[in-house]
Amino acid sequence: MAEAPLALRLAARELRAGFRGFWIFLACIALGVAAIAAAGSTAQAFRMGLASQAREIVGGDLAVTIQQRQFAPAEQAALGRIGAVSYAVAVRAMAEAPSGERRLVELRGVSGAWPLAGKVELAGGRSLRQALTPSGPAAGAAVEAPLLDRMGLHLGDRFMVGNAPVAVQAILVSEPDRLARGFTLGPSVLTRLKTVIDGGFLGAGIPFSETARIAIPAWESLGEARARVRRALGREPLGGGYRIRDRNDAAPGVRHLIDQLEYFLGFIGLASLAAGGLGVAGAVNAHLEASKGDIAILKVFGAGGALVRDIHLIQIGSMAAVGIVIGLAVGAAIPPLLGATVAASLPVPALFGVYPWPLIKAAAFGLLSTAAFALISLGRARASSPSVLLRRDVADPPAMGVELLAASCAALALAALAVVSAPTPAAAAVMIGGAAAAFALLWVLGWGAASAAGRLRAGTRGPLRMGLANLAGPRSAARTATPSVGLGVALVTTVVLIQSSLIAQVAAVAPRTAPALIFTEIPAARGAEYDRAVARAFGRPLSSADYLRAPFATGRIVKVRGAAIERARIDRSRRWAYDNDISLSVIGPEPPLADVVSGRWWPTNYSGPPLAALSQDAASGADIKVGDTIGIAVLGREIDARVAALRKVEYAGFGANFPLVLDPAALAGAELSNVAIAKASGAEEARVARALGRDFPSVNVISVRDQLKAAADLFGRLALAVRAVASVVAVSGVLVLVGAIAAGARERAREAAILEVLGATRAQVLAASGIEYGAVGLIAGTAGVGLGYLAAWPAVVEVFRADWSVDWAAIAVLLAASPAVAAAGGLIAAGQALRRRPARALRGS
Amino acid sequence: MLDATLPGAALSLEGVSLTLASPAGPVQILRGVDFSVAAGERVAVLGPSGCGKSSMIAVAAGLERPSRGLVRLLGRDLAPLGEDERALLRRGAVTLVFQAFHLLANMTAEENIAAPLEIAGERGAGAKARDWLARVGLERRGGHYPHQLSGGEQQRVALARAMAAGPRLLFADEPTGNLDAANAGHVADLMFAMAAETGAALVLVTHEESLAARADRRVAMADGRMVADG
Repeated sequence: MAEAPLALRLAARELRAGFRGFWIFLACIALGVAAIAAAGSTAQAFRMGLASQAREIVGGDLAVTIQQRQFAPAEQAALGRIGAVSYAVAVRAMAEAPSGERRLVELRGVSGAWPLAGKVELAGGRSLRQALTPSGPAAGAAVEAPLLDRMGLHLGDRFMVGNAPVAVQAILVSEPDRLARGFTLGPSVLTRLKTVIDGGFLGAGIPFSETARIAIPAWESLGEARARVRRALGREPLGGGYRIRDRNDAAPGVRHLIDQLEYFLGFIGLASLAAGGLGVAGAVNAHLEASKGDIAILKVFGAGGALVRDIHLIQIGSMAAVGIVIGLAVGAAIPPLLGATVAASLPVPALFGVYPWPLIKAAAFGLLSTAAFALISLGRARASSPSVLLRRDVADPPAMGVELLAASCAALALAALAVVSAPTPAAAAVMIGGAAAAFALLWVLGWGAASAAGRLRAGTRGPLRMGLANLAGPRSAARTATPSVGLGVALVTTVVLIQSSLIAQVAAVAPRTAPALIFTEIPAARGAEYDRAVARAFGRPLSSADYLRAPFATGRIVKVRGAAIERARIDRSRRWAYDNDISLSVIGPEPPLADVVSGRWWPTNYSGPPLAALSQDAASGADIKVGDTIGIAVLGREIDARVAALRKVEYAGFGANFPLVLDPAALAGAELSNVAIAKASGAEEARVARALGRDFPSVNVISVRDQLKAAADLFGRLALAVRAVASVVAVSGVLVLVGAIAAGARERAREAAILEVLGATRAQVLAASGIEYGAVGLIAGTAGVGLGYLAAWPAVVEVFRADWSVDWAAIAVLLAASPAVAAAGGLIAAGQALRRRPARALRGS
Repeated sequence: MLDATLPGAALSLEGVSLTLASPAGPVQILRGVDFSVAAGERVAVLGPSGCGKSSMIAVAAGLERPSRGLVRLLGRDLAPLGEDERALLRRGAVTLVFQAFHLLANMTAEENIAAPLEIAGERGAGAKARDWLARVGLERRGGHYPHQLSGGEQQRVALARAMAAGPRLLFADEPTGNLDAANAGHVADLMFAMAAETGAALVLVTHEESLAARADRRVAMADGRMVADG
């Protein structure tokens, strides 16, 4: 590096030429860096927003939730000694309007101290205290607007929740701790804690939870407060007992979602950098080609290869720095701008600002990708022969030196950084590996297409022959643009196909195959009576094809083969069965569509040691096989059951879809409430819900149709945004295509001039160019759609467990747009070339 | 360091052949060329287009490796030298002037002259460059870029660049081929004057008899061979 100052000085002189020839280079880097920086900055804004409102989201400094019971007076006293405490219970119940319209709601009863942190936003002009004050015999309540809309209620109206009359005294707009509670099946009805207790909603067998939210004194540490809570509540009993969250872990589900969002958007940026990488390489090659004479002159006058390489390394590095800075500026600016536009509808609090870490990460990605794609070309500058000054046809020797090693290291570092910074490194590795394989395949295809064009041209004539000759030539766009355009099309195709399958699943497939209604909290002793009531409400006899009822409980697998479950050793994607309680049932004879894949169902009237049928999905997490013994914490005790069968459970289908089923003798003596499922038309749904309200007011009726519609609406709203984001990669592909066209512009003008001199018409020259680039678009587009199809299929079928459904209209658009856009680019390039007078173009060459 | 066997020789080629690959098969460019230039000697190389004159210069200056034969430049056998070592050998001692000028496009006239001096690590490169600009009559054009100069001016800058380092051997490949008669005469005058002043040996490839006549010695090439010497 003794010559570093000289290299810097000479590079600085070269840089005075400005960005000439580097626009595509800058755009490719800036686009990818901007996407990654925007993804990271957006995610960080949400994280900071969550952190800044963590106390409001938790509803205090600590939240302690228990299931199926309320805090005992002694526990309340102990918690009260830690800090100020508010209590809230949540239970699902059926609301019924005077019209008879019924709907599942989340009934929340809160103590006077609630909320300890944050504010409840109400509409209707009353304070929270006023809204919850009883109005005669009716409990005062704040109610979410969707419930009022659905049931035709207004402010001041009364309705029933279970057997309790409720007066709508305010519209509930937002609750500070809403985000921490996650997904709910129905709109909220907020009332006093006493109302819920006195209304009999917390009776035995009804699932409910109570949460104590604690505001600790400023001098007390969270860790100490947690320890005091543990001491107050004793050791964790079987099956969970209680769960503590604090303001440092306000909404873990949302945080995970933000991590995933950042990775998806970041992956788009990374793919964009990869697609744009060929644009970077192309621009560097074009720059070095243009500088060939200068490079040779420096060598003629005694400059060593390393000095020449370093001069251009400094130039390319400076340009890359400019591209990265532009990308960072755009990436940092986009989130606040978008945030300002959609601030009101953001579901998660966000604090937009300039955060250094996401920008540093984006800059690192930009730098590494530039190094990976540019360094090999720079090796050619070092190794090139100065004899090019005397002979034009000197081929550059292959540069197998330190630059190739450095480029390989940069590529590996890029992949490693992408994997280690991902929330799920294994999935990231698969995605990056897939993208790399697709890129390599497209690259081979590009070279193959150029070679094939060379052979095919022999049997053609006119513009077709000219187009094929260009496609086969040394400046063939097939080789430079196919991988980038193809990768962009592949990514858009993947996103389109995954989305179309998921939308079809919730909008068309699930309504056909899933139950329309789910009934919960059916009293065990009145099961047969309930079946008859349902049949009466439907007005027709029901078979097992459209109505099923089964006992229901929740339990947790705590041991396998005698050893306690080690959750940390279970793959994240399969840990769901061991993270929380799972639903279970007791069933005697093998039900229809049991789908046993190994082992055998127990015989009817079996009365031996406990047996279990486990879903193979749940079993695979802990490598449970038929014959293994599992310990299950259920109903406050632990039972050991031998796994008799593994079964395939289609959770979205119609059947006994419990991940765990026990033989009836295993839980003999326990009185389990029942759940039931039914298929129903829209009209039947409303009729059944109303009719059952009279005889079984405590039974919750969940409309799956409503949930599916909400999901379909959400997917529909997201679809356009996700496709727009994914198309960033396609833009990179187009940039590379433009770069390829620009790099050959001078040569194209010369060729056009020669062809004109030889008598070719302008139409023939245009047609040749259109054919050349159209063919590139056709090859890249078709291959991209094929690769996207291959990537989307396993994601839909294996990851999302949805039916495969192809949006043929979107595929047709992609297939048609790729060659059309590419051909248009070719026609524009040829049009530009034809604008130069032949004599001038030839003199210039 | 000069070779003891060839006292005073700036350049010697012995049995040099050059064969290059082409899509149509190997093409033999040079066929057993024997050629030498003594220190301070001015030699004109004549011959028709495509006879191998420029290739001979490329091989002689170490820009191209011969397929066969021995090349000694300033007494050093080029065969064992790598690309960078040959560049170091040329540094400040062997320079070239081309028909197409080959100035560095993004550098001013002054910077073009200074660049080889800087590469050679010379102090005061800028002042020396300005001095040489004045010697070729372009003292007012130092801040101009090559595209702002006429052909004749560009070649004078190229000549100043070649001579500024004080070379012991100057190769000139048709240096007046792209110039009109007036400019060609001016450049030729400068080149011979400078070579005489510095004592540099000169190998001048040209088509022009009048230019060749000013050399100490004339050699002729045809079909990759030396066909006449003296």
